[in-house]
Amino acid sequence: MSTIAETTSRGQTRRRVRIDGWRWGGRVFLVFMLLYTALPMVWMLLTSIKSGFAAMQLPPQWWPDQPTLASYQKLLDPQNSVGQDFLRFFWNSLIVSTATTILSVIVAVPAAYAFSRFTFPGRNFLFFAVLLRNMFPAVIFLVPLFVLMRAIGLVNTHGSLILTYLTFGLPLAIWLLKGFYDNIPVQLEQAARIDGATRLQAFILIVMPLSAPGIIATAIYSFIGAWNEYIYAYTFLSKNEQLTLPVGIQRFFSENTTDFPGLMAASFMMSVPVVVLFLVLQRYFVRALTEGAVKH
Amino acid sequence: MAHVVLKDLVKTYGSFKAVNEVSLTVNDGEFVALVGPSGCGKTTTLNLVAGLTSVTSGDIIIGDRVVNDLDPKDRDIAMVFQNYALYPQKSVYMNLAFPLQMRKLPRDEIDKKVREAARVLDMTQLLERKPRELSGGQQQRVALGRALVRDPAVFLMDEPLSNLDAKLRVQMRSEIKRFHQDLKATIIYVTHDQLEAVTMADRMAVMNGGYLQQYDSPAQIFAHPANMFVASFVGSPAMSLIPLEASTANGDTVLTSAEGWSLALSQPNARKILRASTNKIVLGARHSTIKLHKSSVPGAIPAKAYTVEPTGDVTFVQAFLSGAIVNISVSPNIAVAPDERIWLEFDQERVHLFDGETQTALEAN
Repeated sequence: MSTIAETTSRGQTRRRVRIDGWRWGGRVFLVFMLLYTALPMVWMLLTSIKSGFAAMQLPPQWWPDQPTLASYQKLLDPQNSVGQDFLRFFWNSLIVSTATTILSVIVAVPAAYAFSRFTFPGRNFLFFAVLLRNMFPAVIFLVPLFVLMRAIGLVNTHGSLILTYLTFGLPLAIWLLKGFYDNIPVQLEQAARIDGATRLQAFILIVMPLSAPGIIATAIYSFIGAWNEYIYAYTFLSKNEQLTLPVGIQRFFSENTTDFPGLMAASFMMSVPVVVLFLVLQRYFVRALTEGAVKH
Repeated sequence: MAHVVLKDLVKTYGSFKAVNEVSLTVNDGEFVALVGPSGCGKTTTLNLVAGLTSVTSGDIIIGDRVVNDLDPKDRDIAMVFQNYALYPQKSVYMNLAFPLQMRKLPRDEIDKKVREAARVLDMTQLLERKPRELSGGQQQRVALGRALVRDPAVFLMDEPLSNLDAKLRVQMRSEIKRFHQDLKATIIYVTHDQLEAVTMADRMAVMNGGYLQQYDSPAQIFAHPANMFVASFVGSPAMSLIPLEASTANGDTVLTSAEGWSLALSQPNARKILRASTNKIVLGARHSTIKLHKSSVPGAIPAKAYTVEPTGDVTFVQAFLSGAIVNISVSPNIAVAPDERIWLEFDQERVHLFDGETQTALEAN
């Protein structure tokens, strides 16, 4: 072996060590973040299949001695008063979130399209007015909105929540979708209109399918936002039979503090729809957020 | 097929006039090229015909109908776009079928027509592909197919070749020309490339600044450009335009350069000068009408070669006269070196004279 070869190889090793150092640091950080986010969920799941007594033990049972689905059965049993409440909350959340999602898509799609395609007086002003709302923390609007809702008689209705969630979700939805429409060449619509489509047909048959990922992302975003929202639901609703899941769970179980497995089972079931939705549609979501970032 | 008439067509955006009183007639089965530099209003004119832009004033007549207020779908036109505008989510088959579906044709008839169009354009084997799986030339062909599949009254083409590479462009150029001849189609074709217009069109409409400059056959426009813009735009390399001053001394009309040299005009050219509104005259000469001498010749003007560009068949020499670039073509076996002294002789029967004020051509009737 010549000395030159040795120096070269040593040089390479040294360089690789330095890169590895950063890489290992990155891995450690990622593992830490993974544990940080995943462990509470794992613990939630484990606790939800313990008995009430086992959940309170110290030192804790890392793995339940007698796993049981009793909490789930109780929550999902319509005969049981606990089950009745849980299912009603779940149903309420579903109604509010779905309505918010549908309405937000119905409003955001044409709004974003108009912002993208047409020039009209006040276009820029309106567009930034839409975004202005997102520059303030949501809580700032709590009292004014409550006063407003009371004035128009919407307090203690799901309508008050749907309206509020719409105003929260729409700005980003419109912004996101506008990016999508900006990226769809206007010639596609022109071609469709020449090929015999009306303006509306060109939009529905050609542009809408192309913006489907954006619409799906918008829908997920609105749904998750509405599904998880707590403060407004807590303020606007006071009747037990109207509560949505976040408020419902908190209220219901603060009266039964000892039932941790029940609380954890309810929390788990609450996160199921969001997780499933996200897993199924995540590729659209990621695409939507990066779309429009670069010019093709 | 049908003829198209534009009558005093105007399109303004605020105070900006994109199209200015353009009037022209495209005969049934004629291939007309709208040509001009970027922003000259040619694409806006095409969009007005297509109905994608609303008319400010004037009339558009397709066949025997004034179509000003008709939707694009009701104008019986087809359009090929510069970026092809193929529907990315649809297969080639569905792209071709779309215009027919919109017209609610029965399914088996659609199938027949789509397959026929695919056969004509030699892309039967591509029918199941998505546009992104096609090459530029193939996409272009699908765009053409989508236009011809439903047999429209007029074809509109907006720079259909400018996204193709040079070789493919030449090939598609002859294919479109062949397509026109076979179908006897009425075609309005927008391009910024004067060569495309000259080679393909029956007549070409040269536009600049929203105004129609000249509308005639390529041969006529080449031989008799109406003004300095048309003269410099059509033909490659561009016609040399040399600013001079006219004066008369003992019966002879002479054009004098600020550089000191002068050129005595022939009798017919001298008569043309009489029509000018000023003594500022611009002499126009195409590269092939200037003869290059390597030694002094009576009537030839001394100059210095600036650049020399051999292209194989001919060598282009550039020189400056009166501050204007002059292009001369010479046979490749004449060696000219940069900065070499040369003498230029103008073929007086083929030079063009322009009024220096109005920029219009001075013709002898």
